[in-house]
Amino acid sequence: MKSNPNDSTLGKQVGLTCCPTCNKVTCAKSACCSRCDTKLIIRDYASLQKSWALLITAAILLIPANLYPITTLTNQGKVTQDTIFSGIAHLVKTDMIPIAIILFTASILVPLLKIIGLTIYLTAISFKLPISKKNLMIGFHIIEWIGRWSMLDLFVISLTVAVVNMGQLLDAKPAPAATAFALVILLTQLAAKVIDTRLLWDRLESKNDSSTNT
Amino acid sequence: MTQVQTPKVVKKKLFSPIWLLPIIALALGAWLGVKSIRESGVEVRIHFPSATGIDIGKTLVKYQGLTVGKVVDISIDDLLQGVNVDVLMDYRSAPFITQGTKFWLVKPKASITGIEGLDTLFSGNYIGMLPGEGESRSFYEAEITAPVITPGNEGLTVNITSDRLGSLDVGSPLFYRQIPVGQVVGYRLDGTKKIIVTAFVQQQYAKLVKVDSQFWNVSGISIDASLSGIEVRSESLASILAGGISFSSSESSDIAQNQHEFSLYESEEQAFGGIEFMLTATGSESVSKHTAIMFRGIEIGHVTSKTLTDDGVNLVAKIDSQYSELLAGSSTFWLEGADISLSGINHPERLLTGSVINFAPGSGEPQLQYSLLTERPEPLNSQKLALTLHSDTNPGISAGAELRFKQITIGTVLSSQLNASLTEVEYDIEVDADFSSLITKGSYFIAESVLSVKADIEGIAVTTRDLNTFALGALSLVRSSNGQRIVNGASLNVFANNSDAESYFNRKRLINKQLTSQDGADVAKGSPVYYKKMQIGQVEQVEWQRRENNFLIDISIQKSFASLLTDKTVFWRNSALSINASLSGVEVEVSPLLGAIKGGITLGLLESPVAGSDKHLYDSKFLALSQSTAIALTFPATVKLAKKAPIRYLGHKVGEVRSVVLSKDLSELIVDAYLYGDYAANFSQQDAIFSIVDVKVSLAGIEAPETIITGPYISVFPGVSAQTSSEFVGLIEKPFHNIDNALTFVITNSSLGSINRGTAIFFRGVKVGQIDNYRLIEDGTGVEMTAHIENSYRHLINKTSVFWDLSGVKVDIGLFSGAQIETGSLEAILAGGIGLATKDMTTTGNMIESNDRFSLSATLDPLWLEWAPRQTAK
Repeated sequence: MKSNPNDSTLGKQVGLTCCPTCNKVTCAKSACCSRCDTKLIIRDYASLQKSWALLITAAILLIPANLYPITTLTNQGKVTQDTIFSGIAHLVKTDMIPIAIILFTASILVPLLKIIGLTIYLTAISFKLPISKKNLMIGFHIIEWIGRWSMLDLFVISLTVAVVNMGQLLDAKPAPAATAFALVILLTQLAAKVIDTRLLWDRLESKNDSSTNT
Repeated sequence: MTQVQTPKVVKKKLFSPIWLLPIIALALGAWLGVKSIRESGVEVRIHFPSATGIDIGKTLVKYQGLTVGKVVDISIDDLLQGVNVDVLMDYRSAPFITQGTKFWLVKPKASITGIEGLDTLFSGNYIGMLPGEGESRSFYEAEITAPVITPGNEGLTVNITSDRLGSLDVGSPLFYRQIPVGQVVGYRLDGTKKIIVTAFVQQQYAKLVKVDSQFWNVSGISIDASLSGIEVRSESLASILAGGISFSSSESSDIAQNQHEFSLYESEEQAFGGIEFMLTATGSESVSKHTAIMFRGIEIGHVTSKTLTDDGVNLVAKIDSQYSELLAGSSTFWLEGADISLSGINHPERLLTGSVINFAPGSGEPQLQYSLLTERPEPLNSQKLALTLHSDTNPGISAGAELRFKQITIGTVLSSQLNASLTEVEYDIEVDADFSSLITKGSYFIAESVLSVKADIEGIAVTTRDLNTFALGALSLVRSSNGQRIVNGASLNVFANNSDAESYFNRKRLINKQLTSQDGADVAKGSPVYYKKMQIGQVEQVEWQRRENNFLIDISIQKSFASLLTDKTVFWRNSALSINASLSGVEVEVSPLLGAIKGGITLGLLESPVAGSDKHLYDSKFLALSQSTAIALTFPATVKLAKKAPIRYLGHKVGEVRSVVLSKDLSELIVDAYLYGDYAANFSQQDAIFSIVDVKVSLAGIEAPETIITGPYISVFPGVSAQTSSEFVGLIEKPFHNIDNALTFVITNSSLGSINRGTAIFFRGVKVGQIDNYRLIEDGTGVEMTAHIENSYRHLINKTSVFWDLSGVKVDIGLFSGAQIETGSLEAILAGGIGLATKDMTTTGNMIESNDRFSLSATLDPLWLEWAPRQTAK
């Protein structure tokens, strides 16, 4: 199939590159961005590796984040430790389905999907899986956008900890899982951020190109 | 083209450091995993009788506040006898979960000592754990109550036995000098009667507990309320409500070992021991538990309990250890309460606090039993003098009255009652040993008067005594000069007052005599009897005797004057004021004041034995001394005569009128009179003449002028009869008494003219006689005048004498001879007179005889004046 010739032209092929900071199109030969003096790099192949590492770490951390309790709530001396899931279950039990859905989405679904999405994304880049470049990009943007909402849980926890501090009567404290969860979110965000999305174009395009060219 | 060297791109195949992140994460995860597996803990099953308060997942197992486990499951046991609680224990507690480990349920407990397990209020109950020793096991039976655990690792646990728990509880503090040094950690019943309280003493205070330490309950507040103030004492606020134990130790004793046994006392006082002993009493109205035992106002012990016995009440009392040396074999105990009397209230605080038991130490080995006396015992070494007193009447003395000497209490009256024969009042008294020497033979008591008012001319003295005297009376001792000591049981006298006493003793020394008097003689009981103005006795009583219609006066004379009472003794009444008034002056004699007021009797002695009755009370000294004789006179009612009018003979007083009364028909005056003893015989002849002498004023002069002042009196002229009489008829006119046998004759005249009684007879102007009386001749032919010539002149008159009337002034006026005025003396002019001339010499032949009659010539014959015979007196 013939692709749009406009689409097939890459910046690096015409000796141009884009400043990663200010997105100024500059000559690829320049060492630095003439506008913001950022070091120019045409393709960051190492980013893939970094992203993978962060993603794997996040994946590992996802386990304690869900297994360990995320909050320690002391209510009239009764210490209740809630995992993310037990908290959601509690909300369901107390008939707060909408909040439960939000919490479930933000705390369980989003991190999980994010990791899965990133894995797919990275796999697609690394192993050049035949997935539509467009779909991948859409997915990536979704992941990147939605990722920040996963911090909802942590916001709730941090606010609760700050506000609810009445000693033995009522006290909320972050439990070990909170750290893990925060790391999961942070690492996935970083993994999404650190990756040089231009690699996607190269890999996929080259493959496509090779297939078309040959 | 320029040589552009293509830079050699070296692809770094180095392992990116970013990969450390997943490795670290993995490592962490692995570690966490391993750790959680390792720390998964030991599961044990505890059998509880009930699962109340145990929640799965919530109920924790704690050891010393540290969570060592958690209930993971609860299931009902097979026998339905309880629940099996599965507990997941912390892996670190595994070594402690052994054979001896104990589990129990801790519930929240709010007590004053603190809110224990407050956390359980919020966290729920938890299961307490006490590690033990032995092999490990996995099934336990839960303890019902918390085992006695030592709160800390180190310290001392002591067992304190007590009869009752009181308000002690686990956690009740243990004080040493009000510093909390430990707490009660448990208690249990030992047998059926004793409670063993286990207390824990913290390590730093453990050395304070000595083997002989005393533990006492300080539960609640100790309020020591007395009138001097209220002292509230408590160890701590906690101990007020939760109870507590305090202890004290001596310095020198050995430090107690763990699990040493002590006993718990009710209070600090008890804890300090003391000597317990029994007091026996017949009743215990005012004794209660805690009744204090006092010694000199200090509480040295108290009654701890009282029990009923067959014959009374047994009181268990305790003397504080610090005073225990006071208790001796001969110690005495007696009950003493507030003493309310009019002299004040003794120990008023005991009205509120109740009676106390007083204590007197003694000597000897302490006994186990003493008897409780109801009143203060007598000091052993002093012997009170018991006496009996007698009194005619009870002067207001009741049992309990004080005996006083100089207003100092020397004893008390024990009882007062009538004697067996009901004639006297008897008092049993007791005189303190110290004062027994005061009482000697002859001592007597006088009832104190509450209020004595002594009024005399010098002023009024009011003496009052204290109220006690008012209520119970009091007796004052009057000592006697007799030094002989009196023995127990002797009898003494009581008098209502001093004068009673004096009269009593006087009476003992008195001689009684009875006197009779026509009237009450102005004397009364107590009127004095004088001798030479000194009181020698008194009137005891005055009685009217109906039969004799007179008064019987009993007098008593002191024995020392007994010699005065002889057959020569006479009595007369003292007049307050005796006025002996005459023209020569007024003699006023005032008797002593007492006698003046009360009247009085005077004793006097005569020269010779009393003629009449020696019982007669004379009206006056004079009458008495003169042994006067009573006579009765009757006078015509016209006579003016007063009491006390004298009876005179020739102006000399020989008697006096005692009373003057009109007879019933008013025609006569009946006069009772005295004739003085010396003269009585002379004037009591039957024919003695009594006549009234009253003042007579005439030209001739005033006759009996003294009667103007003294009043008429009675003149008496003795008679010649041998018969005596005591009743006479008095005359109005005083007859002429030819006392010295003067020559009497009669002069007759046709009329009396100015001749009157007393008209003088002149001889040559000299009065030689007078007219004594005159009367009409019975046939009415003339007047007969009785005259007398005084003895010294009787020779001047004989039968040849002539008499003429000298009365008036004779004026003979002639034309040539002139006027010739002839007068007698002025007296003769005024009073009239009779001239006398005698012609011949008086011889035995012509002497006139009594009652010779002469006629009175009216005029003087001048010849008569020339008669001048020489007369010679005989």
